[in-house]
Amino acid sequence: MRSRIVAQALASAAFGALAMAAIGITPANAEGTTLTYLASQGWVADAELELGKKFEEQTGIHIDYQIIPSDQYFSVLRTKLNSGEAPDIFGGQSGVTDLQLQYNVEKNALDLSNEPWAKLEDPLVAAQASVDGKLYGLTYWDTLGGPPVVNYNKEIFARFNLEAPTSFEGLKTICTTLLDNGIQPIYEPVSDGWHHVLWFFELGPHYEKVTPGLAEALNANQATFSENEAMLTVLTQLKDLYDSGCFGTNALSDAYSESGKVMAEGDAAMVLAANGFIQQMKNDFPDIDANNYGIFLIPLGDNQQLNINPAGPTKFVSATSPHADAAKQYLQFLTQPENMQYFIDHSPQFNNLPFPGLTSKLSPETQAFMDRYKDARGTVYQTAVTYANAQWMDVGKDLTAMFTGAMQPADVLSSIDSRRTDLARTARDPAWQ
Amino acid sequence: MLRGPYPAYFVLPALVLYLTFFIVPSIGGIGYSFTDWNSYSTEVNFIGLDNYARIFSPKERYLTYLANTMIFAVVSIALKTVLGLGLAVLLHEGVKRFVNLYRVLIYLPVVLPTLIVALIFKSILNPATGLLNSFLRSVGLDGFALQWLVDPRIALFSIIGVDTWKGVGFITVILLAGLQTIPKEYYEAAKIDGAGAWARFRHVTIPMLMPAIVVVTVLNVLHGLRVFDIVYALTNGGPGYATEVIYTEIFKAFSQGRFGLGTAISSVLFVILAVAGYFVIRLLERKPTR
Repeated sequence: MRSRIVAQALASAAFGALAMAAIGITPANAEGTTLTYLASQGWVADAELELGKKFEEQTGIHIDYQIIPSDQYFSVLRTKLNSGEAPDIFGGQSGVTDLQLQYNVEKNALDLSNEPWAKLEDPLVAAQASVDGKLYGLTYWDTLGGPPVVNYNKEIFARFNLEAPTSFEGLKTICTTLLDNGIQPIYEPVSDGWHHVLWFFELGPHYEKVTPGLAEALNANQATFSENEAMLTVLTQLKDLYDSGCFGTNALSDAYSESGKVMAEGDAAMVLAANGFIQQMKNDFPDIDANNYGIFLIPLGDNQQLNINPAGPTKFVSATSPHADAAKQYLQFLTQPENMQYFIDHSPQFNNLPFPGLTSKLSPETQAFMDRYKDARGTVYQTAVTYANAQWMDVGKDLTAMFTGAMQPADVLSSIDSRRTDLARTARDPAWQ
Repeated sequence: MLRGPYPAYFVLPALVLYLTFFIVPSIGGIGYSFTDWNSYSTEVNFIGLDNYARIFSPKERYLTYLANTMIFAVVSIALKTVLGLGLAVLLHEGVKRFVNLYRVLIYLPVVLPTLIVALIFKSILNPATGLLNSFLRSVGLDGFALQWLVDPRIALFSIIGVDTWKGVGFITVILLAGLQTIPKEYYEAAKIDGAGAWARFRHVTIPMLMPAIVVVTVLNVLHGLRVFDIVYALTNGGPGYATEVIYTEIFKAFSQGRFGLGTAISSVLFVILAVAGYFVIRLLERKPTR
């Protein structure tokens, strides 16, 4: 009799486990548990809050979302991590520098490499949440869908028999033609301090194509920016664009917030912006014809590699969490295909997530563009190279000084190297000791 | 031996508070300037004069920022004092009607928040769409329609102009108060001696107003050397590094988590302020010549 009861119990448990596995959730026996989840403002979308409620309905595990204002987030998180009061899940920006410097994930977070979703995540994205091959976080963010590309006005191009360029010379020819006809070729808002830096760091995949393994060598302090010819060429060409008037006469006082209006009204023919820019412009200026606009890759240095920034807000499970299994269960729940599709469909700011088999919200033309470069893409250097993103605004100042003649392209590269050395020594990076 | 009305130990509570909240943190701050204290590491190491060597190294830009700060302080002091004196004299002797209205109008920019002033002037000084250049072009002065905040050669002076517009009212009020304390008899006596308007201004007004001028100079020196908000909001130190000043660098060092370097730059500025303050106080102690 006892053996029958035991057999029935075992069979029931096995059936239950199978049923749970079928819907993708492993048992955690965590009903009534409350998970604390610390994140910066803007990192938890409304759709995720809704998914959190569904998760609670299914498992009985409540998520206590603790949202901290962005400017205080790192201080609060660091204090909690250092004082042994870490939340069960904490948010953080992925990326090779931040992962170790800001979060010290090897000490503070659990290795999630064996989670069911780990193998499915886009490898470029997963690499930015990994240290020494171990995956520490889930990047639940549209990191692949919107790289900055050159958005152009097809009607203006057609008027002068111009086509989307694939080389710097092609871009220069377009600029010259448009300038000769009284049209501002490119709207480049330098005054914001950050936008014009995109022309340089976004070309990381191009630098990597020219010099394979460059990012790794830079991170190991075995190469420098100032030695790199491809980077010097790109900066020289960027200065050439500014000097020849391609950015207009007021680039230093132009602001990015005006770019949609400028492009919608045809006051400039091109602008460097995320590939969702056209859709955004259509929302802001409904009278425009979205089909009148197209996109092409940044052609400086004759680049033909798609720039991807796979870093973004990422979820880490605290190494000291008493509810680690429940926390992993939550991440597993979020990565169920139907939940990811729900997240995409109910988040206006996202077009996709970095997992296969999901229906993207990108326009067919943009999707075709992304697909065209599926095998010719790479990670931008602000993410792939250490101590690059941390000096973004400083590089912006350098580039402005380059435009005004106070610095030369080679000076800008030396300046980047100098700041990297400084930051690395401050952080006591072993590669710089 | 003369004794005060209270025993000496009455000063202890105030002394303890002052030591605890002012002197000790100041000394601590100077102490940290000799370390590599930063937000990336829990270790704080003594590095001697490295931070100071870096600040004064010609390879770095700190000396340029120091020069910009000095230019800002000297030019803004001169402009504010001259304009403030002119306006004060005008309000004291020249304007007969609506004096109070003019005083309010001149003082009004002083009470406006710097950020608001900067936003307004960013719009006015925009080279393409700004009010100033539009006006200049409309009256045929296209040659004077400059790139006010984006030309590295004039951006610092544009900021000084905006700061002068904002601060001159305060200087005017102090100098006006000084003018009102000068007895009329001095002017009458000078007139009888045959002194003209310029001679009365030079030999009566200026000497008698010297204490007030010294006060506004002290305030202007302190304000000028510590300038930050107007620069940060108008150009953020740009274009490039053309308008960076010491305080924008201190802000940058602290926001990047380089606390040791930040305190070293602060300490350098402290010394400069102390030296400038010493000389201004020496001036203050001098009796006005009659």
